[in-house]
Formats: sequence, C-alpha cells, structure tokens
Amino acid sequence: MNLAHIHLLVNHFPTVGTVLALGLFLVALVSDSVDLKRASLVVFFIISLITIPTYMSGNAAEEMLRGRAGVSLPAIAAHRNAAQLAIALMEITGMVAWLGLWRFRRQSNFGRATLPAVLLLSVVTLGIVGYAANLGGSIRHPEIDDPGTKTSAAAKDTPAAVPEKPSAAKELDPGGLGNYVTDEKWVWPTCETLHFVGLSLLMGVVLLIDLRMLGVIKNVSFAALHRLLPWAILGFAVNLLTGMLFFAGRSSQYTTNYVFQWKIAFVVLAGVNALYFTMFDETWTLQAGDDAPVMAKVMASSAIFLWIAILFCGSMLPFLGQSF
Amino acid sequence: MIGLLNTIEHNQFSQWVTNSPSVWAFPMFLFLHTLGMSFVAGGSAVIDLILLGMWPKQPIKPLERLYPAIWLGFVINAITGTVLFCADATTKAGSLDFYIKMLFVFAGVYVLQVMRKKVFADPQLDHGPVSRDAKLLAWASLICWFGAITAGRLLAYVGPVKGGGLNN
Repeated sequence: MNLAHIHLLVNHFPTVGTVLALGLFLVALVSDSVDLKRASLVVFFIISLITIPTYMSGNAAEEMLRGRAGVSLPAIAAHRNAAQLAIALMEITGMVAWLGLWRFRRQSNFGRATLPAVLLLSVVTLGIVGYAANLGGSIRHPEIDDPGTKTSAAAKDTPAAVPEKPSAAKELDPGGLGNYVTDEKWVWPTCETLHFVGLSLLMGVVLLIDLRMLGVIKNVSFAALHRLLPWAILGFAVNLLTGMLFFAGRSSQYTTNYVFQWKIAFVVLAGVNALYFTMFDETWTLQAGDDAPVMAKVMASSAIFLWIAILFCGSMLPFLGQSF
Repeated sequence: MIGLLNTIEHNQFSQWVTNSPSVWAFPMFLFLHTLGMSFVAGGSAVIDLILLGMWPKQPIKPLERLYPAIWLGFVINAITGTVLFCADATTKAGSLDFYIKMLFVFAGVYVLQVMRKKVFADPQLDHGPVSRDAKLLAWASLICWFGAITAGRLLAYVGPVKGGGLNN
C-alpha cells in the first residue's frame, strides 16, 4: 500500500459517499425525519473531513505517476485544479452541515436557512466533485480509451496532446492558485500568521472544554461552553484554508513527509472528536457543578492530546521529514 | 553590549540549541514556544470573546480559573523565549520587530492582570451587563495577542534567521 493506493481508496468518499449522503438527505427531507436529517449532516461533515487526505494523497499519486508512459501532466493538472474547487465547496458544505448540527443541539431545530443551504451546497459540490473525478479518471484508464482514434481520453479533455513516450519528469505545474501563493511575497507570511491565530483560537476553546470536563472549572454548564464551539470551528476553518494554500503552493514538500501525514490523520480524528462535543446528550445535559461522565473526560483528554499532537507535527515539519 | 550578546550567543548551551541536529534542540524549543502561545493567546481570546458578549446569561466568574493555564503558557514561553533569544541574541537584539513583539506581549500580560483585578474581582460581575471598561480591556487584549502573534511570526521573515539548519 502506498499513497497513490490510498488516493484511489479514499477518493470514493467524496464521490460515491456524497451521492449516498445526498440520497439520504433527500429521503430525510421528504420524510421530514429529524433523525435522518441529523444523520445526513453527520455524514456530510465526515465526508468533508475525509476529503482532506483525499486531496493531499492526490499529490502523492501524481508524484508516483510522473514520467510514466501514457500519463499526461496537463491531465493531472486539470484534475488537480478541479479538485481544488471541489474541496473548497466540500469543506464549506461540511461546515454548514456542522452548523446545522450545532444549532439543532441548542434549539431543537435547524433554522430556516441551514437545510436548504446544505441541499444547495451538496448538489453543487457533487457536480464539481463529479467533474473533478471524471478528469481524474482520464489520467490513466487505458480501458476507456477509444481504440479507433488512437488518442487517450485525456487528450480529448485537455488542450495539450498526450505524448506517446513518457513525458519528461518535470514538476507538475502548481496551477493558478499555487503560483499565486508562491509568487506574491506577502501571501506565505500572512497565511502563517493566520494559521497561528486560528490554532490559538482553537486551542483556547479546547482548553476551556478540557478544564471543565476534567473538573478544574466546574461552575459552568456545558451548554455555555457549547456556545463557543463555532469559534473553535472558525479557528479550524482559518487553518484549513491557510493550510490548503500552503499545500497548493508547495505540495511536494508536504506530500511524502511522514510528519505531515500524521498531522492530517490527527486532524481527521480531531474533527470526529469535535462531533462528540457538538451533538451528544451526555455532554449537553451537564449542568454547572456536575461531574462530567467518564466518556466526556476521555473525549476531552483525547481532544487536547490530538490538538497538541497536531501542533507538534506542524512545528516539526521543517525538522523531521525535511519539509523545507 | 554587542560583546555581551556575542557571549550569550556563543556559550555552549546556545550553540547546542542552534547547531544541534537533534529534535530536542531548536525544534523542541520552537514547538514549546508555539504551544505556550496557544495557551496564552487562546485562553485570553476565550475570556475576551466572552466579555464581548459571546456568552449571554452565563456566569463569567468561573472563567477566572483559566488564568493558571494562561500563566503556565506564559512561563513556558518566558523560558523557551529566553533560550530562543540567546541562541540568536545578536540578531534579535537588533531587530525592531522583536521589540514590537515584546511590547505587545508585556502589554497583553498587563491587560490580563488589570482584567483580573478590575473585572474578575468586581463583585458586580455577573450581576449586571458587562461594563464598558471590561469590553475595552477585552478588545485591548485581543489586539495585543494578535499583535504579538503577528510580530512573532514575522521574525522569521524580517532580518536574518538562524537555528535548526534554517538559514535565510
């Protein structure tokens, strides 16, 4: 198993997964079932988390394919450019889905705008994901090449003709976004600063929740802390955005760095951890002065562990795994 | 002055921090500095956001118990920051950005202290709306920590940087 393998495996989540999630969501809307609606939102959120390693493993797949016969770098670039748009929409869908779950926990309703927004976003996302997936399928699928014309499907979809010989093993063009990140001198330092601001905001909320669950700050109801979760998600969103910009600009220094891979794995786990605090009854019903249940303490401890591990991996990127 | 800074920068410990390829040297101090920053800035930000109204109808007084975590972060950063300074003393001492950062840091700490005395020790806290002074302190705190983070992060860009094999 290598990263290209992983890409081929997890790419089913944003594609097939979104189709199933949308199907579930439509059933939920038609049957007006609250439980199905909540379940759909959870599925959208989890798919948006898995889309993160899906995108990144794509770069690893490209590095492995580079220079092989029948592989067109322009086709890969087209797929990657579409995937950038797809992941942006997917993450927005996931965040709005999360907001719906958060709001439902507090007010037992989703609000007027949330479900229509998720519906619209998920349909558009699915469209773009499908487009990106189709371009991806064009990269190297000899069985769907039309034998009559002697050109591969990739050549039909991209302006540059696919050479029969292996293309020169040059770097994949970073694309418009990637080039912007590296060409404009102010972008990288600004993104780094915002990355630190985002992580501080996130860590502050995680710290407070942990201190509550572990009994240090007891005279606060969890419902009050729950009010702060969107700030944590905002911090996470800022970091996801700035992180994607780093990745777009200099993917080769991250893709095969094992420290970065661990970081992303931890991020996905931490996202799932966040769902626990967003939705579950046993935390929601915690009043001021109550001792938190064991599960809540376990989840809180794992939250702080995960976020410190993520911070550690991020800090060590230049030093372990030779990112820079 | 430059002599003293040179001595600091070239003593055995500072040299080990800067030149050792070990992850326990420069990288570890930088990681701990970032961690401490997240506790200080994050903890303060949570208190500030709550004072600014993100916590309606909930008691604010219990949040005073965040202060020990904030001070823990500050102590970690004072220690790691001193080490990081010593490892690059001659450069940092001449860097305007460094002094701007320290100004924001000390201002932020001062605001936290004033908040503790004036807001958390106020018997009227939680018996009425949050006072205008408290809100101003909250904004000041957010600005100070945002400024400290920005100035600190830009240290890697403004002026020569050493440490852990990085050179620019």
